[in-house]
Amino acid sequence: MMIFDCAIIGAGPAGMSAAVLLAGTGLRVVVLDRGAGAGGQIFRAAANSPLTDAGVLGPDYTDGAGLIAEFERSGVTHMAGADVWHVGEDGTILFSHDGETRQLQAREILMCPGAMERPMPIPGWTLPGVMTAGAAQVMLKSDAVVAENAVFAGSGPLLYLIVAQYLRLGVPVAAVVDTTPHENYLSALPYGPSALRAWPMLRKGLGLLREIKTARVPMFKSATNLRVLGQGRASGLAFDSKGAQQIAAQHVFLHHGVVPQTNMTRAMGLDHIWNEAQQSWQVKTDDWGQSSTPHVSVAGDGAGIIGADAARSAGRLAAMNIAMRLGEVSVADRDRWARPDRAALGHLASFRGFVDRLYAPVPALSVPQEPDTLVCRCEEQSVQALRDGFDAGARDPNALKSLTRCGMGPCQGRQCGPIVSGLLAQWRREPIGDVGYFRLRSPQRLLSLEEFSRFQTITPEAGE
Amino acid sequence: MNADILIIGGGIQGCATAFHLARQGASVIVLEKDYVARHASGVNAGGVRLLGRDMAEVPLSKASMEMWQTLDETLGEDTGFRRKTLINIAADETDIETLKAREIRMRAAGYAHERIIDRDELRAALPHVHPSCVGGVTSELDGHAIPYKATSAFRRAAERHGAQVVEGAELTSLRQVGSTWIARTPTGTFEAARVVNCAGAWADRVAMMIGDHVPLSHAAPMLMITARLPHFAGPVVGAVSRQLSFKQFENGTVLIGGGAKGFADRDHNTTRLDYAKLAVASKTAIDFFPIMKTASINRMWAGLEAYMPDNLPVIGPAVNASDAYHAFGFSAHGFQMGPIVGQVMADLVLTGATPYDLNAFRIDRYDRKTL
Repeated sequence: MMIFDCAIIGAGPAGMSAAVLLAGTGLRVVVLDRGAGAGGQIFRAAANSPLTDAGVLGPDYTDGAGLIAEFERSGVTHMAGADVWHVGEDGTILFSHDGETRQLQAREILMCPGAMERPMPIPGWTLPGVMTAGAAQVMLKSDAVVAENAVFAGSGPLLYLIVAQYLRLGVPVAAVVDTTPHENYLSALPYGPSALRAWPMLRKGLGLLREIKTARVPMFKSATNLRVLGQGRASGLAFDSKGAQQIAAQHVFLHHGVVPQTNMTRAMGLDHIWNEAQQSWQVKTDDWGQSSTPHVSVAGDGAGIIGADAARSAGRLAAMNIAMRLGEVSVADRDRWARPDRAALGHLASFRGFVDRLYAPVPALSVPQEPDTLVCRCEEQSVQALRDGFDAGARDPNALKSLTRCGMGPCQGRQCGPIVSGLLAQWRREPIGDVGYFRLRSPQRLLSLEEFSRFQTITPEAGE
Repeated sequence: MNADILIIGGGIQGCATAFHLARQGASVIVLEKDYVARHASGVNAGGVRLLGRDMAEVPLSKASMEMWQTLDETLGEDTGFRRKTLINIAADETDIETLKAREIRMRAAGYAHERIIDRDELRAALPHVHPSCVGGVTSELDGHAIPYKATSAFRRAAERHGAQVVEGAELTSLRQVGSTWIARTPTGTFEAARVVNCAGAWADRVAMMIGDHVPLSHAAPMLMITARLPHFAGPVVGAVSRQLSFKQFENGTVLIGGGAKGFADRDHNTTRLDYAKLAVASKTAIDFFPIMKTASINRMWAGLEAYMPDNLPVIGPAVNASDAYHAFGFSAHGFQMGPIVGQVMADLVLTGATPYDLNAFRIDRYDRKTL
């Protein structure tokens, strides 16, 4: 078995930054990442974009190429295309690579699982033609594929960024349906002055909104009561915004902010907490990213949404702490090195507080209200089916899963998990943090039985 | 809170006992430390199996199998039960010899529910089985159910008859004062004239509070389930001498068991999987059914289950206390027995007698052994 001092899972901004820092220490570091190239979601294909002019994706994206280059020069072992499906508390990591199940062991593990888009279970959200805005961006970044005359609906910086990227490429956009409630602007106002400390970030956001306005894309504000129209596939979006509105479109792109990707940290049994400000579950860490299991750290958006710039600092801080834990640096040195990144995080945190308030998720968009809206796409379970299960005595997320099969499908509850906790909190009239979440297990994704069956040949136990 | 009878444990044995007691008019409280069907009763493979039972269990298992056929009507709820032929595959002639020897013993005891089949009949029932397999043994009354649903169905039927189920009530103490059992839990104190221990993997601790010692161990039998596959296996499948067990559900998913055990930590309600052993189980499944090569594993899990050294349950009265009874230690094959065990326990508690011979299941069967 391969043995490493530190295994980093995920080569996004946090993972790459941590790897670059640890590379200088002489520790044996491996980075496992599912992508064909480093970059993660945000810098997907930043180093080899299929677009003729990747500049349209914005300066942040092209900056990513710099970090990727630095990471690739650093000399750490980078296993691209490594699909990690199990991380054990004993430090064993199992992953699929080139059609084989492989395993390695590490003294320290740094998980950088990143973010995923918050599910937006409005009526019709599972119809063909409806995707998340992030999925639209993946198609754009990886394959230079776009959809013309689509409706973009929801709220949050990523939504405006993708619309702006579309517009820069000359792709017509049917409308932007903004669900940010009017009162959010008021509740965010007190955080405005401290957000000004991060003026470049704020300017970027305002710039995106101006771009959309200048392009004369129809923009609807404070939209509520969203429903995707269509039988068998999407044909448009209906909503209320200064009266009933309806827009015909073949493609509806939804976005409602991002939440930490917790399936892997959950399957490890790490402690998790409910972040009230961000309305999302996140793994519990200290300010070095250390989890409830001391040799496992988590950094970046996967440990609470902080954004790509902050993720770089968080990755470095976690790496400094790991270097200390492995005896490479003293506590005093670690603390001294950490100062610039701590300061950077402090600046960004005030901006984050502003963004969190401004784009606070709307409860009606996070927790479906119509009885026949699907909650679990894999097993096709509706709100009503779950309510029936609840009325039959299944008051815990896992009991409800056992009774209804909600969350048992191939996505492992990635989509329905937060919705189920939200529904149960509503029905039990208890805080979501007390309701809890699905109990998760490895594998983190579908695993070929044939590939797995060959794994026995390379384990010490195979002779049993 | 007071009741005639206190049942410790909200698994299938506890809920079935509560159902049979409550429907005869007894007042019953079930104390469950987590939630009903949280452990083995809710996450097992759902096998409703009479085939291949230990001789001592056959009378109970046969009676239970008959109850399963109409259990949905009895309980007024869907248990997910589907009657399905079960086949244990004989890989070679040695397996056939094993089966023939068992057949002689079964016939001598007057049992006729198991039938040996030859290669052709095996192929006809399971066209995708590896051609080298020589035959098997089958039982046609068998089937499978959905564990969480079946256990919950007992619970709700019991509640309709007036039983009370208290979840999140882990015993902190249980003692008999005069003729009253007093159970303390974080959610309150409960008193009853009689107590029934159905505490599964934690039953030795409850037995200790009652006054009985029992050599119970616990383990984490592992399961995995695939994403949907085209239908290729009608019968439920096992093997005579290999760790193979699977069933394909109506939705096309295939549940693979076989008895491989992971690591169990009952103090923390957690189990850890042993992936090397699961990989061996995957290989066994493919060896017997090459079509399984195309399958993808969707989930893997393990439950916490209680085991006795002889893999036979404890069913019967306590030996060191009055008005106390045990039903636990089913050693990974208790789900099928739930319906009859509930009835037996109700009979024992209410009348002190049962028509079944429970001698093999005495709690003190190890105490009585002498060197």
